[in-house]
Amino acid sequence: MKEVNKEVLATAAHKLMFDMSDEQYDNLLAEFDVIISQMNLIGDIEGVDEAEPMTFPFDVTNTYLREDVATSPLSKEEALKNAKDVVDGQIRLPRVVK
Amino acid sequence: MVKSDFQGWLNNMGYMDKSLTYIHEAILKGEVTPLDLVKEAIELAKKDTNNAFEYICEKEALDSVSKLDSSKKNNLLYGIPVVIKDNFSTKDIPTTGSSNILNGYVPVFSSEVVTRLENEGAIVIAKSTMDELAMGGSGTTGHLGVTYNPWDKEKIYQVGGSSCGSAAAVSAGIVPFALGSDTGDSVRKPASFAALVGFKPTWGRISRFGLFPFATSLDHVAYFTRNVYDSAYMLNILAGRDDKDASSSFNKVEDYTANLSNPIKGKKIAVIKAIIDSISDKEVLSAFNKSLDYLKEQGAEIDVVNVDVKLLKAIYPTYIIISCAEATSNNANLDGIKFGNRIEGESFEEVMLNTRTNGFSPLIKRRFVIGSFSLLKENQDELFVRAQKCRRLIVNAFNKVFEKYDAIYCPAAPSIAPLIKGSSNNLSDEYLIADNYMAFANMGGYPSITLPIGFEKNMPFGANLTAKPFQETVLLNIAKVIENGTGLKDLVAKRD
Repeated sequence: MKEVNKEVLATAAHKLMFDMSDEQYDNLLAEFDVIISQMNLIGDIEGVDEAEPMTFPFDVTNTYLREDVATSPLSKEEALKNAKDVVDGQIRLPRVVK
Repeated sequence: MVKSDFQGWLNNMGYMDKSLTYIHEAILKGEVTPLDLVKEAIELAKKDTNNAFEYICEKEALDSVSKLDSSKKNNLLYGIPVVIKDNFSTKDIPTTGSSNILNGYVPVFSSEVVTRLENEGAIVIAKSTMDELAMGGSGTTGHLGVTYNPWDKEKIYQVGGSSCGSAAAVSAGIVPFALGSDTGDSVRKPASFAALVGFKPTWGRISRFGLFPFATSLDHVAYFTRNVYDSAYMLNILAGRDDKDASSSFNKVEDYTANLSNPIKGKKIAVIKAIIDSISDKEVLSAFNKSLDYLKEQGAEIDVVNVDVKLLKAIYPTYIIISCAEATSNNANLDGIKFGNRIEGESFEEVMLNTRTNGFSPLIKRRFVIGSFSLLKENQDELFVRAQKCRRLIVNAFNKVFEKYDAIYCPAAPSIAPLIKGSSNNLSDEYLIADNYMAFANMGGYPSITLPIGFEKNMPFGANLTAKPFQETVLLNIAKVIENGTGLKDLVAKRD
């Protein structure tokens, strides 16, 4: 496992498109001490690495095709209603080519 | 009449502290109208001192009442005010998930559960506060600050979370029903701290369409009532297949109220030894044992059962890694561009960075970084995938218990609500097991219900009952018997 330090945590934060203050990184580093100790509890469990990863509570097979009936999706106006900057039916963002 | 007696008389004048069935009967008898009820609930909501609400929908609610179809008067929810946690989309009503990043967001559609409630005649009177984006268990981390426990006039005890506002609204007698969501124990834990019935049916039993996703493989729609019958009735309304939610089940919906009075003779109930052993509070243990005695008197067979302590201690860290990892991806759409509280920048990347940096609280960012760290290529096998493997072992262990038993029954928490300013040893057995074991029901998708069993220092505490997937009928039947035994139902915290 990658060593936990401020730089690594900042990289993880930037991948998620946000930044944190130095104090927040310090708090998180302290929190990681507990998290790693808790994660070690999982590593101690016999047979854990041989188990099949579980991604949903139980197996369900939902196989169906809906009837071929037209339905109405959101209108363009509705889809744009919550965007802060809309021009000519499109969301405006800062210019890419300067 | 002295002032306090007069206040008590006034408090008893209303209907909002009564059960759903009582209020429904009053409407049918013409004793009260939907408009009276909505006005009463809104007045109470306006006087709320527990920070239970994000938004009180006065105008919208009065409009909805005026459009009620009186031919649907026989529907149990006809004209009955309800509260919705602020992570359910509500058309034309602001919805923030108690996060600044969604300030100003007004959904253009309603979640399936809200639509079902409204189709039955329910009137949404408010959106409730929550831990930000449902990622917390204390009721203290929403953008409007701490939500308080109505049972505690000193405002020093938590109400629990993340569905804190919904719990506060029902236990304060403002509405008889409120929607919540439960990813780890976010309805079932606050139910314990607020003397409520908190119910999370099987994963897939209720559509999640329109619920802000936190951790998709663990998220459940859940809700609060003040008695088991009302919980069963609400499942009749909310359960059922919804094509808009791919994980919604095709299993047949039953009448969940039909078997509540069945005898439970011969039902087999398991009590998990290590959970009981990790609790030191004598009042909690004594009340729990009394409820066990009653179950035995009613013919249930109770056994104390062993589940590997190592697995029980692993429930919380497994939950944290999986939920934080899933949350990073589920919340990637919160960038301020298509919706939300956009903060400008020089480039579109900077818009996203500024929006997310300003919009998320420090706690949420820490949770996201934990998720992101566990998903890094170098860490994935040792953290995220290992947590998924551990989840399999935990669920296998509980499935094994369910091979022999109809239900698992334990205290819902090790004590009454913790102090708002308190701290806990996050590596102790009490914290890792008694305080956080209920997430096993999210991992296995089991139906699970918390109900009150006692009081200590005038603060309530509850017990939790969990059954096999889609065995809601059995679960509610046993829960009703426990409720009969304790006599603790329709509890409302005394108003200020």
